[in-house]
Amino acid sequence: MEREVAIVGVGWEGFQPTTPHYSYKELIYQAAQKAYHNANVDPRKDIQSFVTVAEDFIEGTSIFDEYTPDQLGAVLKPMHTITGDGLHGLITAYLMIRSGICKIAAVEAHSKASNIKTLSQITHYALDPMLNRPFEFHPDFIAGLEMARFLHEAHITPEDCALVVQKNRRNALENPSAPYGFDYRLEEIQDCQPVAYPLLESHIAQPADGAIVVVLASREIAESLTVEPIWILGVGWCNDMYNLEYRDWGHLPYVTKAAQMAYHQAQIQTPSKKIDFAEVDDLYAYRELMSLVALGLISKHELPDALKMGKFHSTGQLPINLSGGSLGMGNLLEANGLAKLVEAVLQLRGQAGKRQLSFPHIGLVQSWRGIPTSSAAVVILASS
Amino acid sequence: MFSPFSINFESPTQWHGDLPVTSRYTAGIALERFFIALRDEGKILGIRCSRCSKTYVPPTLFCPQCLTELQEFVDVGLHGEIYTYTISYRNLDGSLSNAPQVIAFIKIADGGIIHKIEGIPPHQVFIGMKVAAVLKPTAERSGSILDICAFKPFG
Repeated sequence: MEREVAIVGVGWEGFQPTTPHYSYKELIYQAAQKAYHNANVDPRKDIQSFVTVAEDFIEGTSIFDEYTPDQLGAVLKPMHTITGDGLHGLITAYLMIRSGICKIAAVEAHSKASNIKTLSQITHYALDPMLNRPFEFHPDFIAGLEMARFLHEAHITPEDCALVVQKNRRNALENPSAPYGFDYRLEEIQDCQPVAYPLLESHIAQPADGAIVVVLASREIAESLTVEPIWILGVGWCNDMYNLEYRDWGHLPYVTKAAQMAYHQAQIQTPSKKIDFAEVDDLYAYRELMSLVALGLISKHELPDALKMGKFHSTGQLPINLSGGSLGMGNLLEANGLAKLVEAVLQLRGQAGKRQLSFPHIGLVQSWRGIPTSSAAVVILASS
Repeated sequence: MFSPFSINFESPTQWHGDLPVTSRYTAGIALERFFIALRDEGKILGIRCSRCSKTYVPPTLFCPQCLTELQEFVDVGLHGEIYTYTISYRNLDGSLSNAPQVIAFIKIADGGIIHKIEGIPPHQVFIGMKVAAVLKPTAERSGSILDICAFKPFG
């Protein structure tokens, strides 16, 4: 397994349902300061390139990439912004280091979801203007369609999805950065309002604010710093066809392809045996289960029993979303992938506090950009 | 660094902004044919990729799998099967809907159409149900996906 690029610093601010006193720039500034301190680097002197992720409509500002250098220490330095999840940004920085363009880079993602007054309209505006938008459906109908087909094919029940909600929100109780920790009874989860049958309100990650900055370095630099490097063993990313009409509603082939790319690079033949823990997409509870199948961490027919046996609990055979996931930390929009990555880094460093696993060696992080997208990114990390 | 004791809550802490966005979208050659056939002939068109042995509904000018330019439009009929469905309880703005709406992906050939299901109580809808498109009267059609009123159970 190659060890050419490492994560040498993480910093984050939040996460909170609202942050009324801080602008997004101040959230990012604080996360960046923590990350640079964590990596023991001077951003103005040491960091050679910066990557940020953002989507203009979510930010409420056109050409948002112009707004990103100041708070990161990136003024008059190489930097760019991509529209993608934070993991896509991380992979971009990884590739720049691997290609020799730079030796140390910073990646930033953030969410100021509490400032978005019309998120459902923004999501609706992402749909095909002629085939889908004329109905003016609430966009969560897409998650309802996907969930119904997955449950049908995998013989999973809404009660099984409630187990995911219960697990992740309980896990969040052990994560000081997760605002949605709660010890729910299953009946409370199942008694919630339906949004798009079989999808319930309780199955949906609620918005949160926060910012995350990650510092990456080449092996040469990483080994010279004082912090323990967390190595990137493999990366993968993939997009499916955009049209809702051409989709495979019961599977996530783009997640599978992204994972296969990362497994190949990491030389992992049997992921279910090699991966010690995973942080996967759970913007909707059923998506955690779909993602686990797509990642090859479990088969569809094993899934119902695995859920009932607690395989994915913190004390189970394959802990999933120890951070609380998006259900526990909140939907951080384009920062969801990096929020999960932070948990993986902390676990591999042995710094995860009450939720720390015993000596994990390899962790997997996977993200999705939410409805209506068909984009996935996967990163596999290892401790020293 | 922020201190909660230093904030003057009378001072402006937020600013509200909005942007009226109005756009024009070009249907393109394939979708234009689709909408004209729906409006003028009451037909649903797909397009055939012989190399991939797939019939895409709605039609596309090129095969997304092999990138072949496609020309073979085919009438795929007005019938399909509910591949998956949901019951939406929300309006677009997030408020609760007074009339929950059954929305389905109706599989037709190797694609399909997202549309409303009507004419049956929501709890009787099931995956695999055969449905047919109900069109507006010819004079009321405008060349839109809404020229199909809804899909209803068939057979």
